[in-house]
Amino acid sequence: MNNDINRIIIIGGGASGWLTAGIIAAEHINTKLPAAERAIEVILIESPQVPTIGVGEGTWPSMRGTLKKMGISETEFIIECDASFKQGSRFSQWSHAPQQTISLEQPSCDSYYHPFSLPSQFNEINLAAHWQAHKQHVSFTNAVSFQGRLCDQGSAPKQIITAEYECNANYGYHLDAGKFAQFLQRHCTQKLGVQHIIDHVEHISSDDHGDIASVTTKVNGSVAGDLFIDCSGFKSLLLGEHYQVPFIEQKSVLFNDSALAVQVPYDNEHSPIASYTHSTAQSSGWIWDIGLQSRRGVGHVYSSAHISDDNAENELRSYLLKSMTKAQAESASLRKIAFNPGHRACFWTHNCVAVGIAAGFIEPLEASALALIEQSAKMISEQLPRNRQVMDIIAKRFNAKFQQRWRQIIDFLKLHYAISHRDDSDYWRDNRDNSSIPESLKEQLMLWQHQQPYSYDINQTEALFPAASFQYVLFGMGFNSAVPKYLSQGEQDQALALFQQNSQRSQQLLKVLPSNRALLDKVKQFGFPQI
Amino acid sequence: MATQAVTQEQNNNVMLNSVEHKDLKVITDHGAQYGDNVWYALTFPVEFRSVQAHYPIFFQKDPQTGRFFSVALFGFKDRENLFLDKGQWQASYIPLAIKRQPFLIGSQKIIEDGVQKVQQVLHIDISHPRISTQQGEPLFLEFGGNTSFLDTAADMLDVIHHGLEDSEHFIDALLKFELLESFTLDVELNNGNKHQMIGFYTINEDKLKTLASASLAELHDKGYLQAIYMAIASQANIRTLLNKKNNRLEG
Repeated sequence: MNNDINRIIIIGGGASGWLTAGIIAAEHINTKLPAAERAIEVILIESPQVPTIGVGEGTWPSMRGTLKKMGISETEFIIECDASFKQGSRFSQWSHAPQQTISLEQPSCDSYYHPFSLPSQFNEINLAAHWQAHKQHVSFTNAVSFQGRLCDQGSAPKQIITAEYECNANYGYHLDAGKFAQFLQRHCTQKLGVQHIIDHVEHISSDDHGDIASVTTKVNGSVAGDLFIDCSGFKSLLLGEHYQVPFIEQKSVLFNDSALAVQVPYDNEHSPIASYTHSTAQSSGWIWDIGLQSRRGVGHVYSSAHISDDNAENELRSYLLKSMTKAQAESASLRKIAFNPGHRACFWTHNCVAVGIAAGFIEPLEASALALIEQSAKMISEQLPRNRQVMDIIAKRFNAKFQQRWRQIIDFLKLHYAISHRDDSDYWRDNRDNSSIPESLKEQLMLWQHQQPYSYDINQTEALFPAASFQYVLFGMGFNSAVPKYLSQGEQDQALALFQQNSQRSQQLLKVLPSNRALLDKVKQFGFPQI
Repeated sequence: MATQAVTQEQNNNVMLNSVEHKDLKVITDHGAQYGDNVWYALTFPVEFRSVQAHYPIFFQKDPQTGRFFSVALFGFKDRENLFLDKGQWQASYIPLAIKRQPFLIGSQKIIEDGVQKVQQVLHIDISHPRISTQQGEPLFLEFGGNTSFLDTAADMLDVIHHGLEDSEHFIDALLKFELLESFTLDVELNNGNKHQMIGFYTINEDKLKTLASASLAELHDKGYLQAIYMAIASQANIRTLLNKKNNRLEG
């Protein structure tokens, strides 16, 4: 019996399906060979009956490497996916509700950035410890990084002379997920040798060991495979429905389970495009605001246990009033999305692995969804089991790694709520309730009151969110962390020099960087150079 | 596009006409006071043969578009032109992008047989320091008609216009075959001072050596293979520049 893994079947054609197909195909398919002689085949089955989710989404900087590896032109990607540059996230009103009195012990932190650039020389020195002494004068982000000031000024992260995927300031993208899936589909089928079957999966056939032998489609009949990748979204057709892998609900930690999304037009073709995701906390959730090229994507994600849909809608419409007339804000058409936050108990069982929403979904805070898809597909591709015998070993490692990543995501997202001082609703009070905070996060928070998070706290190579991300959120939100009893003079001098450098660097960059909008216009006209 | 460097529309650039500009003269001496203190100038393959005899040829990106264009190098830093000396440009060939001054190519829309067309016309930068009514070469003859100086200038701009169009195709070919690479030029002067020049690109000779014969033939058919080797050969002029710089420091 030949146990080699040759045929990879991907079920589902959203961004997760096509990203996974592209990542695997770019590494394993030699398109110079005729189809019959290739060692690996990648076949994606997409149902014509299932609509993709496709709201505007944010990516992490890792997407640049992912696209580059797939041989995609950044210029084409930007033009075809309505994409723009994202340099991080800005959080407003997360610490305090707008009218809340702010005590002296809890300094004002209406708004802060979590930029994509690490603090200066992050691997050499923990600037968070040194910043404590200066926190009355400069925000944490502005002390340790130059990027927040670029975001404030609406500046792009690079110039038109900067080569594709290279940058002056680290960036990811905002994109239209629906257009992204279509773009990837064309690239995967035309350039990477991925086969595309548009058909509905009606039946799943197992072999004697419980492995999936084939799926039966409505028109194309049976499609056999060696490895099946479930990218079927909320349906979780293979992992959830077929294998009945339990769903671990996380609603008791992260309450949000509903969203209202709306597309907001720009005033005119010169309106600025923010190069960050703006997240504004509400009474029982938060509103995302992302700038694509042609429009903004705005949405309210909230806990249905804490606020009615009607009231959530009212909060969203009053947010829209800031950039629209009353008539426009009242008539904008909203789309409701309901979800159950959580993930499967494991992600790889038998010869089936799930990627994307089929594996789990938690609210879009910090935009980890696409990043997690990239990381999952990357591990499947790089560790692609040679044969069925070794697949179980890789499945075990995959499960351990991604169980840990889900825990990290949950802890990191919960952090945004757990250290808030908002007291304007039960939502915020419940979020601080001890019983809703995972033990692992409680432990970290206890420790971080006495020292600043750094490399010991998070295993860097395994981390989804590095210690730097925890620092940006903690100190952006005014978390009190004790000043170290002793800091060497040498380190203090170095820290001060770096704070100065960041201020100078932003001034220098602001002189040469175009606005986000201006750069996007240039990309459409001239494209980025390849080198 | 690099052509913007010579066709840019500014307020002081006006279409040349024999009535308004009857008495204008153009000073043909060289020096910083005439705006010659530049450390590089735009060039293009058609003049590479003449340029490479005196100046290193490199490639740079247009900050407005990210497109590449070729430059002839005259110095190691901003406003340093090592060829300027005692009111003279010390080389037997001056790149056309310098020599054309103060003339530019402008475009005007004309209606011909009811069809709108764009026509290239001669413009002049009337605020250029070379413009005078007292000294220099007259543009128009006393009783009408162009001077041969003006005719030569017009011919020169025609060469530049076509040369830059050709340059765009040349650059496309270089990019297609991945023949450009960035490089950093580090020079050390006799007095120990160091200059580092970044943001320049040159021909990737390793890529060129391994280029398939069909690709070489394609470049050769368009005359670009010669231009590529001219650009490579021009690098010997870095030594010339360095000598000039050292002489200047010692002299």
